[in-house]
Amino acid sequence: MATLSLQHIDKIYDNNVQAVYDFNLDVKDGELIVLVGPSGCGKSTTLRMVAGLEDISNGKLLLDGKDITNAPAKDRDMAMVFQSYALYGHMTIYENMAFSLTLRKENPNVIHKKVLAAAEVLGLTSQLNKKPAQLSGGQRQRVAMGRSIVRNPKVFLFDEPLSNLDAKLRGATRREILLLHKRLQATMMYVTHDQTEALTLADRIVCMSMGHVQQVGTPLELYDSPANIFVASFIGLPPMNFFDVTVSGEKLIGEGFEVSLTPEEKHTLAAYQGKQIVLGVRPENIVLGNDVPATVTMNENLGMNTLVHAYVGGNTGVKVTAKLKGWTDYKADDTVSFTFDRKHFFDKETTVAIHGGEL
Amino acid sequence: MTTQDERSIARDRMRFIKNSQSSNLCYLGILFDVFYFVNIYKSDVGTYYYTFKIGASIVYNLIFLLVAFLASEGVKNYKKEFSYILFVIGALQFARIFIIPTQAHSATTLVNDVAVSVMGDGQFFRVVAYLAISGAVLIAAGLINLRKCNALEEHLKSIGETA
Repeated sequence: MATLSLQHIDKIYDNNVQAVYDFNLDVKDGELIVLVGPSGCGKSTTLRMVAGLEDISNGKLLLDGKDITNAPAKDRDMAMVFQSYALYGHMTIYENMAFSLTLRKENPNVIHKKVLAAAEVLGLTSQLNKKPAQLSGGQRQRVAMGRSIVRNPKVFLFDEPLSNLDAKLRGATRREILLLHKRLQATMMYVTHDQTEALTLADRIVCMSMGHVQQVGTPLELYDSPANIFVASFIGLPPMNFFDVTVSGEKLIGEGFEVSLTPEEKHTLAAYQGKQIVLGVRPENIVLGNDVPATVTMNENLGMNTLVHAYVGGNTGVKVTAKLKGWTDYKADDTVSFTFDRKHFFDKETTVAIHGGEL
Repeated sequence: MTTQDERSIARDRMRFIKNSQSSNLCYLGILFDVFYFVNIYKSDVGTYYYTFKIGASIVYNLIFLLVAFLASEGVKNYKKEFSYILFVIGALQFARIFIIPTQAHSATTLVNDVAVSVMGDGQFFRVVAYLAISGAVLIAAGLINLRKCNALEEHLKSIGETA
């Protein structure tokens, strides 16, 4: 397999719109990197530049140390799986999977062995004589993956491969991709806007916004130590709650509430005494307590948990979502009181996490 | 990989790859039949061999085209029975040489009280060649399909699958 190095990569279109700014990333051999971010953040553009489907405006792209910045897509030894599957409807699954190798005029017997091996890995052996129209969305996506596998490329690229699938199938196919990665130990780059996919699949996540890399790290690092407010709000479902608070001695004072700081938190915020910061609290880090009074607006029971939506500081205050354990039955306008288990702090001006944002 | 392995894999491939070789030969047979019938209805010497056989030949051509096309689809999917159909229509192509072409070649007709040959040598050899090639490739298509069908049947039996 292969290592991939993206060095100071920019993408500037002819109309001077810049889609990607100074993208730097070293992908290790056998690593599964997930590029995640909202629509238009430049993640697919980055992937397409790696694949050779878009020109790289500035910077270098190295595959196994070899500069492939200007190499045509066909010479990059990479395989890409698209959201739309891109299967040939008039060909059988076998012929679809064999197609790229047939074009390369490989020995038909070798092609046959590769196709059967890939079909076995993907559980498609019994479907090989069918046409794509006879398969489900998940099976079609597996065929698209199979078409990549038979090529035995150095790098696999996935561009939102699960977006066309329904929620149940998406979960199943996601697990299949994960198993596939473990089995093939291949270097993979995967683009998605779905943070659940990112967290479950990735060895490392690259979180992007507006063409800029916001944070690179393991899923746990991004969840536990978000680098800034954007990452904190993007990773995690429901998203993190944010409050404008003032650091005052051993307390944080917000609109309609006060919370105490631990000695470690006070130490972390020593430089912010008397200043406003942004306090971030994940819904799952909110429990029933006595610190933060709130007025309930909605109660969503999910079975194991309940999402309680409320306003802190009166009906015009900050909207907060708490993920409470068990089944609760609050009504609108009920008053509850929360305690924050764990806090994240962000600089109000720069939005950057204070001391890594996690204590 | 040994030759036996290669052969085994080649046989296994037939489970997923269509028999395009036989199918394409069928199309070739149809093509040469078309060459035949576009040539038979025009005489090199400007006369024509008008008999009921011409009408029958037109009808047979239509049937031939249909059967040959169906057979091309059948052999594509390794249907053994279509091999026998191809043998029959292939043999009939050879038989057709002795009906209109041969008879027209040896017949004369009176034009302005002068006896002229209905079909000249050039046209005769041309249409005979077209029919012979058409018949030969159809029989070859049938033979190839028969051989492949037997090999596939044997292979499927060995791996415990049914066709």
